[in-house]
Amino acid sequence: MFDMIRNVLKNMVSKPATRNYPLYKRPSFKDTRGRVGGNDMEKCIFCGICSRKCPSQAIKVNKTEKTWEIDPFKCVICGECASVCPKKSIYMDEQYTPAAYRKEKSILVQPSEPAVSDDRVIA
Amino acid sequence: MPKTVIPFGPQHPVLPEPLHLKLVMEDEKIVEAIPAIGYVHRGLEKLTEKKEFTQNVFVVERVCGICSAMHALAYCQGMEKLMGVEVPDRARYLRVIWSELHRMHSHLMWLGLLADAFGFESLFMQLWRNREKVMDIMEETAGSRVIISVNIIGGTKRDLSEEMLAKIPAVLDEIYKDLKQVESVFLNDYTVKHRLVGVGVLSAEDAHALGTLGPMARASGIRMDHRMTGYAAYGELDFEPVVEKGGDCYARTVVRLKEVYQSIDLIKQAIGKIPEGEINVPVKGNPNGEVISRVEQPRGEVLYYMRANGTKFLDRLRLRTPTFANIPALLKMLPGSQLADVPILLLTIDPCISCTER
Amino acid sequence: MRRIGRAAEQEEGMMENIVEMPKEQLIGTVQKMMSEGYRFVTATCVDNGNETLDVIYHFDKEYELINYRLTVGKDEEIPSISKIYFGAFLVENEMKELFGLKITDIVIDYGGHLLLSDDELDAPMAKRQIVIEKKGEKQNA
Repeated sequence: MFDMIRNVLKNMVSKPATRNYPLYKRPSFKDTRGRVGGNDMEKCIFCGICSRKCPSQAIKVNKTEKTWEIDPFKCVICGECASVCPKKSIYMDEQYTPAAYRKEKSILVQPSEPAVSDDRVIA
Repeated sequence: MPKTVIPFGPQHPVLPEPLHLKLVMEDEKIVEAIPAIGYVHRGLEKLTEKKEFTQNVFVVERVCGICSAMHALAYCQGMEKLMGVEVPDRARYLRVIWSELHRMHSHLMWLGLLADAFGFESLFMQLWRNREKVMDIMEETAGSRVIISVNIIGGTKRDLSEEMLAKIPAVLDEIYKDLKQVESVFLNDYTVKHRLVGVGVLSAEDAHALGTLGPMARASGIRMDHRMTGYAAYGELDFEPVVEKGGDCYARTVVRLKEVYQSIDLIKQAIGKIPEGEINVPVKGNPNGEVISRVEQPRGEVLYYMRANGTKFLDRLRLRTPTFANIPALLKMLPGSQLADVPILLLTIDPCISCTER
Repeated sequence: MRRIGRAAEQEEGMMENIVEMPKEQLIGTVQKMMSEGYRFVTATCVDNGNETLDVIYHFDKEYELINYRLTVGKDEEIPSISKIYFGAFLVENEMKELFGLKITDIVIDYGGHLLLSDDELDAPMAKRQIVIEKKGEKQNA
């Protein structure tokens, strides 16, 4: 019993082990898999390997129209698409996907033009 | 004396996952107990027949959040034997390091839940504070706290850098020091011993006949630890299984506490012996045939049976998790005990119901 | 190097130690396993695709496995081993529910309500054609 009392007294004088979360956020570690950050449309060749390897079928690639879309709420953030991409154009981000009001409409479609890169978000 | 039936319902403050028990009671003593499961059945065995065998690693990892890397390890080991793939040495040591980290965080979580079950909340907080250090290591090395996705067929996906290999032993030493202070509360405190000693005794013959596994069997005197067969890099490390003779809840607590120390020691040995080299080999072709692979998880031994027929899709994947085999032992321990001991008895089998029902 | 048993020469890979067994010898063989001190590990059911089911029983002693395989048609009955090994009742209930395998005399019988609920299909893991009729048009599942 006295071991625990000693522990309790030590805890009363030292600083707390928890963080004051919304006021202070811990910086993320490097290489944390937060979400799929996106695809660099200049490098993407629309081969479709990422779409075939995705375990939850969250990526759709359309070669004729040159679009690449991902459903961020189906994605399980495994990182397979980023590691099998032959041109390394998909990159992961460290922040987690933020909460949204509508799941089915938050699909990010980025068509690419040969000379000008045009990011249109269809919400 | 008239009998009453009390439902120890699926939702209960002490249970981590839903499990239903019908307790037939006379006054305060339990006469019979019948379990009912099925609240989290997701049908994962059927899902693995629809996905390709390389995508199945991600499905199998998500069977359970606490032992997730070991499920992936068992699956990958089975497929590697079926396809004749030789895993490089560095990958085998990396797999051991991540598996032992999982074992540490599972046992620390269990010790905290046990302390919470008999009402000792400050002990619960001390143990979970140490568990956070392990979760931070996993996030820094593998990218995520719970489902780490590092095992693939042919090796591992990520490597440990030199600074991480130097940082991990430093964090483990802090955990060791903290745990030494808390250990005497579990083992020598008068009120804690009163709740644990003599409760739920299981003799060695009963444990063998019912097929119990893991720390429950080792606390009854059966010397069975599947890591001794030497899969991954365990054949080259030096350790002995932790065996106690009491057979009651106190002995099971001692076994799990000593296994945390054993894991700290194993990780340090593995970091000392890890060779240089590559971390995975490419895999070509499709699997064909049947195979069984077994791995020691924190709760016991898990068995994977796979059958493939030469295409990209598996014919059948069957997994039998250790809690599935420990539930009949619960039915033999409950009759004869008091109602107030039921939460402690349920927690000593370390129930992981999402593993049981997949 | 620390390896025990047969795993010293070869890892548990392709299932060696698999013995085919006709249905009538099941109880006798299981009683022999119990008296020799083997531990019951689990039982597996596989649908072969041609109207037969394979039931495989796994036993273990000193880290070595012995497997017994029975092949039965989908309508045959097999006896339960839960009177010999009490721990087998859960896995037999699960096989009965998910595959439709007929097992008689299980010690605690859940009657099909262990894992599935009333408004789901029977025997979902068996390989069958399922036809869904939807307001006039038919689709196959």
